[in-house]
Amino acid sequence: MAGQSGTGTSATRRLGIVVILMLGVLALCGLWFSAEDVVQGSTVRIMYIHVPSIWTAYIAFAMTAVCSGVYLSAKNRSLAWDRVAGASGEIGVLFVAVSLVTGSMWGRLTWGTYWVWDARLTSTAFLFITYIGYLAVRQLGGTHRQRARRSSVLALLAILEIPLVHFSVSLWRSLHQEASVANPNAKVELDGLMLFSLFLGLIAFTLLFVWLLLHRQRAMMLEDAFSDRGLDVAITARRNEAGA
Amino acid sequence: MDLTPRTSTEPGAQAPTRKRRWLPMLIVVGALLGGGVVVTKFLTSAIDYYCNVDEVGVRSGCSGERRMRVQGVVEQNSVKQADGGTTFILDFNKKTLKVAYSGDPGGIFQECIPIIAHGRVVNGVFESDRIEVKHSNQYVEKNAKRIDQSNKEAAACSVLKG
Repeated sequence: MAGQSGTGTSATRRLGIVVILMLGVLALCGLWFSAEDVVQGSTVRIMYIHVPSIWTAYIAFAMTAVCSGVYLSAKNRSLAWDRVAGASGEIGVLFVAVSLVTGSMWGRLTWGTYWVWDARLTSTAFLFITYIGYLAVRQLGGTHRQRARRSSVLALLAILEIPLVHFSVSLWRSLHQEASVANPNAKVELDGLMLFSLFLGLIAFTLLFVWLLLHRQRAMMLEDAFSDRGLDVAITARRNEAGA
Repeated sequence: MDLTPRTSTEPGAQAPTRKRRWLPMLIVVGALLGGGVVVTKFLTSAIDYYCNVDEVGVRSGCSGERRMRVQGVVEQNSVKQADGGTTFILDFNKKTLKVAYSGDPGGIFQECIPIIAHGRVVNGVFESDRIEVKHSNQYVEKNAKRIDQSNKEAAACSVLKG
């Protein structure tokens, strides 16, 4: 990072351009080229944001858990793993929020209500709250290693909620429909360009996640370095006092 | 030697103070309370039995005048709107139930669509105060060919109903 003023590199800038282009194509496919649904009409277009958002949140929380596991199990316990875990958790919370908001809008237009205490909606809300708690636990203070240790344990517990959220529509009688692509019947229930737009959204949002993660974990590294510097200054000051 | 971080005159060298940790603590407490509220709401909403039309009056919990949720398909040509209310026939497994809803159901409510009605059976009529329209996991493009197919299926549906 020597000689660099921000968190970007030429690679992240190129990735950012690809993400912007893909999101632009997604907007065109989702809002213009793809047809309306025979029952829902234009409401179906919300799906191109809603599904990729929760997909990205799943990836983000899985990344948080994997990095937390590596941090706890690795011999050197590098804080880089913890920073990636934390950054990924933050991005995951953002995408769950997007998924909840867009899902609520879709629910009002399709079900006739913004919210029901249905298994899928409730478990997703619980997931959201759990990871807000995870992010708060990271800010409780102590050394970086204390932060890494306690948040890693929490991340490994929180990831257990993902299968519960995903399979909630099968486990309980739910108002929310079952998956249209990754369902137990292995049958794709989307027509032509709808399916293409959805997959485009999944890829675009996944790349957006990677881009955000690269920047955020670098920003966290700078934050840690900044806070370490405060401690170093204090130690130096005391040593000078003791030596004087 | 006392190594407690102190306020430094150098910009950016200030150590975190204890005050800053109150907000994360409050958020953690809020998350715990929020999680409790979410679980409680889910459990209390599940108190009303979830019954299919053919289970009403048959299955334990789906009989009498107790409040329940009933799932079925809105029968074709059964929807009538008058005096601000909506009545229709709910159909499931060849059993039917008359539903009276106080208002316009909203959403994508229409004939031949699965719904969940909240309410209770009074004198053989399910008096509902809340309707949720279910959507299947099938997404079909709207175009002329498909509309024709849909019309054929609707016609077949009405023939089956006699």
